[in-house]
Amino acid sequence: MHISDGVLPTYATVGGYVVSAALTAWSARKTRSQDLPKLAVVTAAFFVASLIHVPLGPTSAHLLIPGLTGALLGPPAFLSIGLGLLLQSFLFQFGGLTALGANTLMMGLPAVICGWIFQRYKGRTQKRQAIVGGLVGALGTAMAAIFLALLLGTGGEDFLGMAKLALLAHIPVIIIEGIVSAFTIGFLARVKPDLLRAAFTPASRETDG
Amino acid sequence: MADIIQYPLWQLPLLILMPLGCIAAMVICLRRLAHRKEIPRGEDPDWSVPSLDDDTGATLLHRWDVRAKIVTLLVYSFAVASLEHLTPSLLAVVLSLTAMAIARVSVVRVLLRLLALSGFLGMLLVVLPFTVPMHSGDTVLLFGGIQWLSFNVRGLLLAVTIAAKAVAIALLMEPLLATAPLPVTLNGLARLGLPEMVGQMVLLSYRYVHVFLHEARRMASGMRVRGFRKRTDLYTLYAVAGFLGMLFVRSFERTERVFDAMRARGYTGRFPEQGEFRLQGRDILLASAWILAGGALIAYDRIIL
Repeated sequence: MHISDGVLPTYATVGGYVVSAALTAWSARKTRSQDLPKLAVVTAAFFVASLIHVPLGPTSAHLLIPGLTGALLGPPAFLSIGLGLLLQSFLFQFGGLTALGANTLMMGLPAVICGWIFQRYKGRTQKRQAIVGGLVGALGTAMAAIFLALLLGTGGEDFLGMAKLALLAHIPVIIIEGIVSAFTIGFLARVKPDLLRAAFTPASRETDG
Repeated sequence: MADIIQYPLWQLPLLILMPLGCIAAMVICLRRLAHRKEIPRGEDPDWSVPSLDDDTGATLLHRWDVRAKIVTLLVYSFAVASLEHLTPSLLAVVLSLTAMAIARVSVVRVLLRLLALSGFLGMLLVVLPFTVPMHSGDTVLLFGGIQWLSFNVRGLLLAVTIAAKAVAIALLMEPLLATAPLPVTLNGLARLGLPEMVGQMVLLSYRYVHVFLHEARRMASGMRVRGFRKRTDLYTLYAVAGFLGMLFVRSFERTERVFDAMRARGYTGRFPEQGEFRLQGRDILLASAWILAGGALIAYDRIIL
């Protein structure tokens, strides 16, 4: 779920831009500069992954994957998500030019937090990685939903009811996201464990050899 | 105290279903139209490929300096987003429609943008009238005397105002982006102080979204051929997770190959620039006129209303 133009008060949109810009700069510094073009290509893959719809009873929900992005990319995930949302609003017809900063914050911050948690608690066994991955996947979406509610809350009391409804509506998505993330991380742990090392961060490269 | 108007209960579904039906009908019509006119189905036009027919100078907006255009439209969008009343918001929609007409952009692409917006805005239109807290002076419609389910007209107005603002800004995206090739727009952004790497990353990931979409479609049709159908069950989630994992594995490997190939062709962190920028008097004139229009809307919104 992305916030469209015209919902948030001006201080929230401008503030969202400022904080996002600062975090993007931090995220870019956490990425080795020669890896930036690679990060752009990987962003395209995450973008495509987020377009996948999962059936949910009579309707369907599309995956948000902030948790997975964070787990696989680490701190560069914020930059990656900002780039993805920019693409989305510029080129793929989803609006939200003025809400771009707030939207990036809403998805990017959970990703970075989830990435940190995943790298810290993933352990060594495949099973544990899958379980932590699932928890992180659910947590990422839950945090994104909470940020969404908080951002809507900046619009004043008129939007509080809407914020509560948005939180409720995210509960099934959180569960699905958790299950899919657990399976995906489990799959990667079996097929290509290298990917679970947050490949674009200099620190993790050095320690893991 | 709020004005309370009582209605029998059976009119409530009517009230909700009618706008929902209208929106659904609009969405279906838009889809039809988009599909009929869309170039080959499922193929987004790839704007990273420079267009061969050089149509610079086609319209006023095509001739506008990219930098002036970006700054103007960004400032103007923020002005529109901060409007609070319905009338100036509707005026903003009219202004955007005028800009669209001047730039002669593809109507289908604009419709697709509106289609993408319709989900969020439709939800807003349905939810806000029922959740907005009651103030004195509000007009409230009650159905069959159910106290907790009151339809607040102020909420509806708020939702319509937001929808108008969102549509006004979304309508401007096509005139902003389609009137210059994407690399030129990004170069313009770089000239405005955005790090050059950001523009390159946008170009690269934009290009590879198309590549990976293609790949994902191929994998999906492979799964369908083997009899996989999406259902609401655990196995579907398992299969989707495998799909995601495979997509990541393939794309990370591909990324390495792409980057090696780029370096082998002499990539040193820069793409060659296309076109040149010249800021002329008329660029600034158009920019100031447009920003003044945004300022006038805000003045009308805050001072007069």
